Amino acid sequence: MSAAVHRVPLPPGAEPTVDVGDEVSADAVLAVRRALEPPIAVPAAQALRRPPAEVPARLVVMPGERVAAGDPLAAAGHRIVRSPVSGLFLTVARTDGSLLVAPLGEEVPVVGHVAGRVRAVERRSISIEVPGAVLRGIAGSGEAVHGELVVAVHEPGEELRAAAIDVAKAGRIVVGGSRASAETLIRARAMGVAGIVLGGVLDKELRDFESIQRRRREMGGMTGAFALILVEGFGKVGFDPPLFEWFRRQSGRMASLIGAERVLYVHEADPPPERRPLPLVGGQVVAHRRPFQGRSGALVAILDDLHAAPSGIPARMALVRFDDGRLAPVPLANLEAVAEPS
Amino acid sequence: MTDLDASASITPPASAELSLLVDTGSAWTKASLVARVRGRWRIVASVAQPTAWGEDALLVTLADRVREGVDPRLAGTVADLLDATPRIACRTPARPGRLVLAAVSHDISGAAARHAAEAAGWVVVEEASADDGRSLLDRLGVLQAVQADAWLLVGGFDDAAPDQALELASLVAAARRDDDAPGPVLWAGSGRLAEAVAAITGPDLTVLPNPRRDEHGGDPEPLRRHLEDLLQQLVEPGGVRQLAPIAFRRGVAEVARAGGLRTAGIEIGARYATWVRAEPDGTASGRVFAAGGTASPLLTMAGVASRVARHLALPLDELAVADALQNQRARPAALPQTEDELAVAQGAARLRLEQIAADEGGIGNLDLIVGAGRVLACAPAPAVAAMLLVDGLRPLGVTQLAIDPAGVLAPLGSLPDDELGEGFAAIAGDAIVPLGTAVVARGGRAGATVMRVRVRRAGWGEERFEIRAGQVVVEPLPRGAQAELEIELAGGASLGTQRRSVHVHAQASGGSVGLILDARDVPLRLPRRVDDRRAVLGAWLEAFTAEPAPRDGSR
Repeated sequence: MSAAVHRVPLPPGAEPTVDVGDEVSADAVLAVRRALEPPIAVPAAQALRRPPAEVPARLVVMPGERVAAGDPLAAAGHRIVRSPVSGLFLTVARTDGSLLVAPLGEEVPVVGHVAGRVRAVERRSISIEVPGAVLRGIAGSGEAVHGELVVAVHEPGEELRAAAIDVAKAGRIVVGGSRASAETLIRARAMGVAGIVLGGVLDKELRDFESIQRRRREMGGMTGAFALILVEGFGKVGFDPPLFEWFRRQSGRMASLIGAERVLYVHEADPPPERRPLPLVGGQVVAHRRPFQGRSGALVAILDDLHAAPSGIPARMALVRFDDGRLAPVPLANLEAVAEPS
Repeated sequence: MTDLDASASITPPASAELSLLVDTGSAWTKASLVARVRGRWRIVASVAQPTAWGEDALLVTLADRVREGVDPRLAGTVADLLDATPRIACRTPARPGRLVLAAVSHDISGAAARHAAEAAGWVVVEEASADDGRSLLDRLGVLQAVQADAWLLVGGFDDAAPDQALELASLVAAARRDDDAPGPVLWAGSGRLAEAVAAITGPDLTVLPNPRRDEHGGDPEPLRRHLEDLLQQLVEPGGVRQLAPIAFRRGVAEVARAGGLRTAGIEIGARYATWVRAEPDGTASGRVFAAGGTASPLLTMAGVASRVARHLALPLDELAVADALQNQRARPAALPQTEDELAVAQGAARLRLEQIAADEGGIGNLDLIVGAGRVLACAPAPAVAAMLLVDGLRPLGVTQLAIDPAGVLAPLGSLPDDELGEGFAAIAGDAIVPLGTAVVARGGRAGATVMRVRVRRAGWGEERFEIRAGQVVVEPLPRGAQAELEIELAGGASLGTQRRSVHVHAQASGGSVGLILDARDVPLRLPRRVDDRRAVLGAWLEAFTAEPAPRDGSR
C-alpha cells in the first residue's frame, strides 16, 4: 500500500500539541490557537511623561511580541507602562502615543482530518504521512472533512439526485456521478453529509451553492464542515469507468477530503488508476474538453503531421475508439492515458 | 551558433550550423530550430506541444519535422544533431516571486510600487494600505496568513513623514514574527522615515528608491531594477534573463530598437500575461501579470462569463461559457476542439487584452504591436489574431500588427546584451510575421461617415473607402507592400494624434491580413439587444475572415 504526505496548515500563533512520530486519528487535535480580539489602547504618553512622538523610542517590546498581563510595554526612567491583558503588542498610535495590544481570545482546536503518522512539525504546518491512496481533483471548495466513503450512484455517468441523499449519508463522503444540482448540494449539506466527490458539475450550480453557503455563514446559522471536489471537468461529465470501479471497491473505507486543496485521501486503499500525458497507441485513454469530455476509449492511431481540429486549430490528432463504439479524431493534447497502477 | 560536422563521408562533407530556441511554458513548450540556409539564418522547423509530454517527445517531433526538408545526407543524423545543438532557452518561472505590499495610499504610493514590482516579475500576493478600509486587526490577519518572499513598504513623498507608514511597518513586523523564514523587508518610501522604519522592522531593512518622490509623479524604473535583482537573488538564483516574461520584454525592446518603432508586445500564455512597451531607443517598461493568462483564475470569477458571452457572435449561453472557462483553467494544455470552445477561449483572450489595456490606462499611440502566446500566435487564421489584437487593445491611430508564431521572441530575449541584437537580426524576418496595419478611429456620429480613406500603392492606382461608424473594412495588402494613406476624419472622429487635424497622412505596411480600417469606436460600441449584438459581432468577424471581395475601385 502506498502513502502520501499531507501538510496541515497552521493558522498564525497556533501551538502544536503533537510531536514527530505520533500516530494521529482523523479527528485528533494537532494544535490549538487563540484568536486575537480587537485591540485595546493602553495610554502611555501621559504615564511616561513624554510627548506622543517620543513613545516609540521608549518601547521595551517589538511589534508582534506576545505579552502577558502585567508585562512592561514601555519605560522611561522609573515610569513603566504595563499590559493590562495577555495579548499581542501591535503598534504605537502616533496621534496620542497610546499602545495597541490585541487580547488573546478563547482556545480553538486545529483538527487535521487525516489519520497517519506525524512526519514534521513546523511553525506554519504539520506534515502527516497518510497510509492509503490519494486522488487529486481539478477543482474543489470547502474545508477539510473526513468520513466513510460511500458511492451513491449506479453508473459513472449518472447524475447525483437529491433523492439519493438521505440521513444515512450523514457524516460520510458521498461519491456522486456526472453532475449534482445546487439543490442536491444544499440537501447534502443539510443532511450532514461531510463531502461530495463528483465527476462533473455545472459552474453555475456550484457557484449558486457556494453563494447560499456564504450567506448562511454570514447569518451565523451554519454548523459542521462540508467539502466538495471535482475530478473530471465542468459541465455534465461522468467518471471514467475504471476510476468509478475503483471508487466502488473503496466504499466503506475512511476518507479525508480537503476541498480547498482539491485532494481526496482514501485510507488503507490501493492507488486509483493512473493518468499520464502523451498516451500510446493501443492504450486506454480518457478525453478532456468537449465534445468527448470524460469519455474513455482505446487509442487506435496517432496521425502524421498536423491536422485541423473542428475548431480550425492545427494539432497533432489521434484516432480514438470510444467505449460506445464511435471512432473519432481528437487532439492528442486532449487525451490522457489511463492505466492500472504498476 | 555552432558548426557541426554531420557526416564523415566523402566530399563534400555535409554540415549544419544550428541553434535551438526553446520556450518552456507552464502549459506548452515551443521549440524552433534555426539553421544557416544558403548563407542566411532561417527558422527551419518549429514545434509546440504540451510541456507535460517532456523534452524527449519534443525532440522526436522536431526531428521528424526537420527530416521532411533536410539534406538527405543528414537525415540519419538529425536526432544526434539536435541533441548536440546549442540551446537558447527561456522558461515560465516555476513559481512567481511573492511580494507583500504595504502602502500608505493604495492609489498613489501603492500603485507606483505595484507597477514597479509587477514590471520586475514579482506577484503582489497581498496588499495592505492605510486607506483600504480594513481594521488594524483585519490588516494584521491578512498579512499573517500570507506566505511571501519579500515585504515591500512604501509611502510618503520625499519631503513628508506620514505616521501611517510607521503603523504599517509595525504591522509588517508583527506579521513577520511568526514566520521561520520571513523574507527581507524593503523600504521604498520617504527617505525621512527610513531610520524610523528600520527601528521597527529591524536593522536589516533594505532602503530602495522611492517610486513617488513628489506629488507630480515619479520614476518607478530604479525601484524596478532593484526588485529585479532581488528576484534573482531570492527566487531565481539561476538568473532572471531566462525567465520568459523578462526575456520577452528584452525581445520586444530589441524589436523596437531594430525597427526604430514605438512597439508594444503582448504575450498571453496559460499562466502569465506580459505587457511591454518599448521605445525606439530600446528602453522598455511593462508589467507581468502572473495570474493573467488564459488559464487565469481571474477568468472564472463571478461576472466574467457574462462579459465573455456578451462579445460572442455564436449563440452560447453564459452557463456554457462559464463551464468552458473553468475547463480551460483546469486543463490549460488541452485544445479547444469545437468552434464553441474556441470562441470562448478567444473571447477570454480578448477580455484579458481589454483588461490589460485598461490597467495601463490605455495603450497610447504605437507604431507596432506584436502578439505572442498560443491563443494569438496559433489562431486558426492570422485574421483572427489581428481581430483579437484590434478588438482587445483598441490601438487608436495607425498601428502595424504582427505576431510571433513560433514563440521565438522570448528565447531570443534571453541572449546576453552583446548577442541580443545580432541574434534578433539574424532571424528577424522569420521571427516576427506581419499581419498588416490597423487604422482605428474614436468617436463619430452613429450611422454617419467617420473616415474617408484614400489608399495609394505603387502600380495599383488609388482606392477610396468610406467607413461609417460601427463599420470595419479589411482590405488585402500583402506582406512587403507599402501603401500611402490619406485619411479624412469626419463627425468629430479622432485617431488620437495630438494635432486635431481632420486630414491625416500615414504609411501602411502589408501583411497576411492587410489593411484594417476600423470605425467601431474606442472602446467598442455594441448594441444592447442580444440578437442585434450577435448580428453585429458576426458581421465584424466576417469582415476579418471573409475572402477579399473583387476590386471595383472604390467602396
